[in-house]
Amino acid sequence: MMAKRRFPLILAVVASIYLGSVAWVLVHRPDSEDERVTVRIAHWQVEVGPSQGFAAVIKRFEELNPEIRVKQLIVPPVVYKQWLRANLAGEIAPEIVEYGVWLNGMTDVPVKYFQPLTEQLERPNPYNEGTPLESIPWLETFTDELSEQRLNSPEPGQYFAITLTRGSLRLFCNRELLREITGSEEIPKTMIEFRELCEKVATFGAARDRPLMPLAGSGFNAQFLMNTYLGGATSKLRVELDRDGLLSLRPLNILSSYREGRWSFQRPEIKAALQLLAELQQQMRPGYLQLGRDEAAREFLRGDALFIFSGTWDATSLRKEARFPISVGRCPQLTADDPVVGPNILGRFSDGSNTTGFGLSLTKSGQHRPEAIKFMQFLASYEGNSIFSEVSGWPPSVKEVPMRPEIAELLSPADGYSNGSGVFSGGGNCRALLERNLHLLARHDGGVDQLADALDEQMPAAVQADLQAAARDAWLSVLPQDSRIAALGLLLDGVDGAARVELRRERLEAGQTQSEARGMLIEVQLQSAQSVGTK
Amino acid sequence: MNSVFFRSTIALVLTLSWLASMRAETVLSSDLQEAVKDLADGTFPRLASESVKDAPVERLIRVMTGMGRPPLSRGDFEKYQDELAELTDAQGEVAELALYLRARLFQVHRIPRDHETAEALYRELGTRNPMSHWAQLGFVKLGLMRLFLSPKGIAEPERRSKAEAFLPMLVEPALKRDLHLQIGWAGLYFDWPLSEVIPHLKAADEVGGLMGMVPEDLVLQIAELSFRNGDTAVARAYFERFLQEFSTSDKRFNVEQRLVDVANEVALKEGVLR
Repeated sequence: MMAKRRFPLILAVVASIYLGSVAWVLVHRPDSEDERVTVRIAHWQVEVGPSQGFAAVIKRFEELNPEIRVKQLIVPPVVYKQWLRANLAGEIAPEIVEYGVWLNGMTDVPVKYFQPLTEQLERPNPYNEGTPLESIPWLETFTDELSEQRLNSPEPGQYFAITLTRGSLRLFCNRELLREITGSEEIPKTMIEFRELCEKVATFGAARDRPLMPLAGSGFNAQFLMNTYLGGATSKLRVELDRDGLLSLRPLNILSSYREGRWSFQRPEIKAALQLLAELQQQMRPGYLQLGRDEAAREFLRGDALFIFSGTWDATSLRKEARFPISVGRCPQLTADDPVVGPNILGRFSDGSNTTGFGLSLTKSGQHRPEAIKFMQFLASYEGNSIFSEVSGWPPSVKEVPMRPEIAELLSPADGYSNGSGVFSGGGNCRALLERNLHLLARHDGGVDQLADALDEQMPAAVQADLQAAARDAWLSVLPQDSRIAALGLLLDGVDGAARVELRRERLEAGQTQSEARGMLIEVQLQSAQSVGTK
Repeated sequence: MNSVFFRSTIALVLTLSWLASMRAETVLSSDLQEAVKDLADGTFPRLASESVKDAPVERLIRVMTGMGRPPLSRGDFEKYQDELAELTDAQGEVAELALYLRARLFQVHRIPRDHETAEALYRELGTRNPMSHWAQLGFVKLGLMRLFLSPKGIAEPERRSKAEAFLPMLVEPALKRDLHLQIGWAGLYFDWPLSEVIPHLKAADEVGGLMGMVPEDLVLQIAELSFRNGDTAVARAYFERFLQEFSTSDKRFNVEQRLVDVANEVALKEGVLR
């Protein structure tokens, strides 16, 4: 009886809950969001700064373009390559992705999966209207006019990315600790001064029984340190190997000159440079090669290391997380009177150029390419890049964008030789050699000679593999162009603006001929008898 | 005098033939035009299913779509090359393009590559209508083959002259430029005398219109190689031009230092002369 009386009541409650839910859904329906197009952008910059910079740019962009929503995906660097490859192959990659030419085993990606941005870059960026960059072709608004793209584009003449920032290599210094040790805040300007400071640090640490090192150490930071000084310490050799008259070396020069026996690790200049590396690695804690980038940062932030050598990408993180004031110093320079490498150097080496980075590419499979291009245009516009730089603390890639002094000090003036690729920069296989063998410098039975011998033993195979990869990449960019060139030829007869079509075809043909000649030349090198051994 | 008259007449005839060959020959329907636009953009059109009534240009577009997705399987290679061989029998631009693409199939798409057949096809194209764009492009490809596929042990002057032989056949300035550039760059690798390399680089630079890093590289190379070859006046002119034209280059410091070297060299020479 009671149950019967309660039934209408329960029914009424259920009905009101249902009606209430319907009303809630109707009222709270994300009406505009459902209509909005979503553009996704993926990158691996997990440091403090860039993700906040992106968020701020996205907020402003969405205000200007309420019909578009932008989602930022931060993928950890350790899995980024695999993640990107899988998403590209599955045609589910975000519209915009970060890519760098140095990512090992990924050189085929741009041609296969990215849409060239050349045509957009040749026109003014609409978001630059009313700014000092108005009416200037977008390409010319980047401080380096996308030099990395010009240099490494798999299709010569095509641009596959825009960039967001530029940087340099710096010594970040614990200013209080430096004053405590030396009584001064002066960061050493030369390697000779740096060596003297390292001795003072050792004495200071020993007197206090404190595990203090001049440099915070990790395999990651050491790679940059070693390659920078290796290049600087062998600049005269660079002149000797520069057969093409480019005043710097390119990866292919490194590979072919080694293969032809024009240099080896037994060369006195290279052994002297390896000796310098041995000195440098002694300034990092034992076992540093096994440590990650974060551990080096923690060592520095704990006050257990006076400096950390890193790229300016770490500047914001270090400044935000340190409990002490940080000074930023330029790389201590090698000088003609340096006892180890002095006779082998031309002069100052560049510790940062105006080359821009943090390259973002447009994927071919992205669902909303026009909207993605719009967002890229805003991101690399005067306003967008200003917001990104201001919030992230990273230097801007766009000309005329104002910078705070602490951002501006991260950039280097053009006051040193740009040496181009170092001896380990021939390709992914050569790059891995230094990392794999550097421990030989520190072993009790190791040293410069042991390292040089090991490198010469492994280098021929690495050169061979890198040349093969370079040839494969060259052909990969050649083959699909035949149908594009033919299509442009057919279009010439049937469209308005034939001159523009003809120009596109001319450029594609020029690019294809360059790639084709490159592929053929590398094959000639691969077929030629290897003559390593000239020492 | 006779020689000048003869050369001028030849140049005039070649230019007139080239202009004549550029007349419109292929009219595409709007559907096909869209498909070709997609191909030109590097995306792949959805084409209607194959039919025996397909016009030659439609058949050609089908092959082009397939060639745009390398690498080709053996079966696809055979299918496309048969199709192109049939299209080649016709006349006009479709036939010339088909012949060019057939040469490309053999030269770069076939595994292993068949350079001999490709060369024969390029030569056939050149014989049919040497002024057609596709024959002209074929001459560039033949030039590359002479540069890089010449038999081992060939004397370098012979390698060079075989590649250079295609230059007079090129009337399209951009294509001539591209071959000059590759001959010059190959000469650096094969260690030809700089006096034989530099003119090719200068010729490529004079045409202009190159993209990417090449314009910057070319000016720098002409400057530096001229300096190494003892031509300080040209070296200085091109180094200075580099600084003027490439304000964003990261090699400006290197070039500034090199200008100091040039000045020192000039001073040294003048000192010796005095």
